[in-house]
Amino acid sequence: MLLWIGIIIIIIVAFFLLIFWGYYNRIIRMENRIDNSWAQIDVQLKRRADLIPNLMETVKGYMKHEREVLENVTKARSALMTAKSHQENIDADNMLTGALKSLFAVAENYPDLKANQNFMQLQDELTHTEDKIAYSRQHFNDVTLAYNNIIETFPGLWFAKRMNRKTRDMLKIPEADRETPKVKF
Amino acid sequence: MEKKLLVEDHIRRNKRQTIVICSFMAFLFIAVVLSIGYILFAGNIIIAMIFAIPIAVGYVFITYSISVQTVLSAAKARPANPNNREEKLFIYKVEEMAIAAGLTMPKVYVQDSDNINAFATGKKPEEAVICATTGALRKLKTDELEGVMAHEMSHIKNNDILIMTVTVAVVGAIALISELVFWSLFWGGGARGRKGEGNAIIIVLAIIFVILAPIFSRLTYLAISRKREYLADSNGAYLTRNPEGLAKALEKIKEDHPRSKPKGSKTVAPLYIANPFKRVSVNSIWATHPPIDERIKRLRSM
Repeated sequence: MLLWIGIIIIIIVAFFLLIFWGYYNRIIRMENRIDNSWAQIDVQLKRRADLIPNLMETVKGYMKHEREVLENVTKARSALMTAKSHQENIDADNMLTGALKSLFAVAENYPDLKANQNFMQLQDELTHTEDKIAYSRQHFNDVTLAYNNIIETFPGLWFAKRMNRKTRDMLKIPEADRETPKVKF
Repeated sequence: MEKKLLVEDHIRRNKRQTIVICSFMAFLFIAVVLSIGYILFAGNIIIAMIFAIPIAVGYVFITYSISVQTVLSAAKARPANPNNREEKLFIYKVEEMAIAAGLTMPKVYVQDSDNINAFATGKKPEEAVICATTGALRKLKTDELEGVMAHEMSHIKNNDILIMTVTVAVVGAIALISELVFWSLFWGGGARGRKGEGNAIIIVLAIIFVILAPIFSRLTYLAISRKREYLADSNGAYLTRNPEGLAKALEKIKEDHPRSKPKGSKTVAPLYIANPFKRVSVNSIWATHPPIDERIKRLRSM
């Protein structure tokens, strides 16, 4: 009789350990996925900031009377370079997106610039980087949402508490941006 | 939020149905192998299995391992050229969709053809291939191409590329076995005359089953294909957050009347975004894809 009770207790304990093991791994894996998807965004942000000096160099010779437009781009870039938190990075990037949008709009008035091979390439690549940022941001929010769902619902909630885990912040994306996540040209 | 839940519901329902269909396929395959045993060895299933299973599994395995090369050369696809602006932007789109899906970048191929079409293949998501026709690159707008790429990326993410590759191989194996049985009965009367053991009625039923099996397996395979198409449509819409892009692309495919003849092999037709060989507008159990109008309707209701 005692033996049977012992066996049943061992089975129950093993069962709980197994579930805990599963949830522990799942939570850690999801955290890694969130960190990894932030790293993705970071790579794209850096790539974008690196492209800006090239763009300025190309544009400078053509756009002599658009000081304000050019300044805005430079300002947004330095904001991006000094940004610390995730949200600061994203906000600076949104600023840069706006500044570049007006630069490319103004560029329409300079046929010579528009025909410049280098400029065309940079424009393609900047647009591509911007789209990549938009999609990696979306992916970041997708994995963060999945993570939050796990640790906020039962039974993940119970394990997350014991592992001292809290929900992660999603990236706030401006409303207008969400409607059209990509620039079309 | 409400929109998203709807898409996720579509996905869940589709997954369930695919599991049912795939199990039926596996069951059919096992049943065919066992029937063969019964026919050829008059009831001695053990000997039959020793004989039939290695052949069947070997066939599936070989077809599977050369599948990517087979598909690419049948489509006469070539790697996309980053120096051509159209193809460079295509590579860019694929990369963006890979990021949105959280997948590694697939290899990007182009098929020289006037048709608007695209397909994905590969054995696992890490080694996938995406291919679009030059017609698609030329005729589709940015958001439409993006919708199509999201659809293909979903095929990769859902492991459809593997499911379809394996089912193609299984359908092929069943067809091969069936043909072998048919011809061996035709020429020599098979094992029936050799031994008196085994129940004659069961043997006759087994023969009928094996001869009909290719039809069942083909229908099952087509049903899987159609299910996976809906699933990839809704997953793709979830990736771009823009069902309209794919809906417009499908509309263009529907209206498109290409001059050039479609290339490629018919067995890989289910891999394409729309069947390159025929456009069906009605619900048919013989179709590789659901009717295009129904797909557009479902996308627009998301």
